[in-house]
Amino acid sequence: MRLLIRRFDEKSYWQSFEVPVKRGMTVLDALFYVRENLDPTLAFRASCRMGICGSCAVKINGKPRLACETQISKFKKEIKVEPIDNFKVIRDLVTEFEGFFAKHKKVKPYLIAEADYENPVEWLQTPKELSRYYVFSLCIKCGACASVCPASATLNGYLGPAALVSAYRFNEDSRDNGKEERLKIVSDSVGVWRCHSAMECSEVCPKQIEPAKAIQLLRRSLLR
Amino acid sequence: MRGFEPIAWIFQALTGIAMVFLITAHFLTTHANHEMLSYENAVSRLGSFEYKVFYFFLLLFVTFHAFNGLRAIILDTDGGMRRKKVVNAVISVIALVAFFYGAFLLSRF
Repeated sequence: MRLLIRRFDEKSYWQSFEVPVKRGMTVLDALFYVRENLDPTLAFRASCRMGICGSCAVKINGKPRLACETQISKFKKEIKVEPIDNFKVIRDLVTEFEGFFAKHKKVKPYLIAEADYENPVEWLQTPKELSRYYVFSLCIKCGACASVCPASATLNGYLGPAALVSAYRFNEDSRDNGKEERLKIVSDSVGVWRCHSAMECSEVCPKQIEPAKAIQLLRRSLLR
Repeated sequence: MRGFEPIAWIFQALTGIAMVFLITAHFLTTHANHEMLSYENAVSRLGSFEYKVFYFFLLLFVTFHAFNGLRAIILDTDGGMRRKKVVNAVISVIALVAFFYGAFLLSRF
């Protein structure tokens, strides 16, 4: 299988590698093969190799995917691997995530509640209460949604789909008391109102979270 | 509701829906047959109170939808967002001028 990698080291260029294909091999395995056998200078991010850390999101044949969850057998002759869009490329497939995480931090992605740490008690939650936000808690912050979002492409300050998913996830948590604080943040001019419902974020999310739906639900909360 | 953005968003949607019906009605009126576009027919149509009200609302909705859309496009850029107040003010002034000029022309029939 021919692996075409868009590399970046001061300037961007394509480099081709021939990789032997084995049954069950993923694109991430192919990248490791290249680094271990063909070119040790190839830079890419990876950690868990099982689709839960979100480190290995890259653009594969034009679509952002997790390299560790993409089987090589899916493709016929050639695989094009590029860094995801809308992120500054540091080197080869490694992109700058500082701004992405800063936006995530802005929406206060944690439980805001009074807790007595001296006498801790369980925070009970019914399955129905859990179901209100569970799917949105599966976000792995891979950046695939932001890489295809047209609003994120043109406006650096836009919070982006991942941060808005987090805001919705904590707002819907029955144990949380920070809903008003978060609604104030997401209703800012760089928040939910900048989304133009292109729905690409939901299309490419490797966890099928539907960030576009979370944004619409946040808007509904704000319009009430 | 918080500030102008949610109001702008909901009215963008509502005016969009309203325009589907009003513009369809406008096309049906003006293209029902070739005679409808003749000068005499257009003047007599615009002279009637019902058509004036109809075109007043069409003008109002189109002006809001178009200029709010333009504002959103400009605010979607880094440069536009940095000058948000200026963008809002300039677009509002142009929209108001366009609307009142249109309403003035409508009133002349």
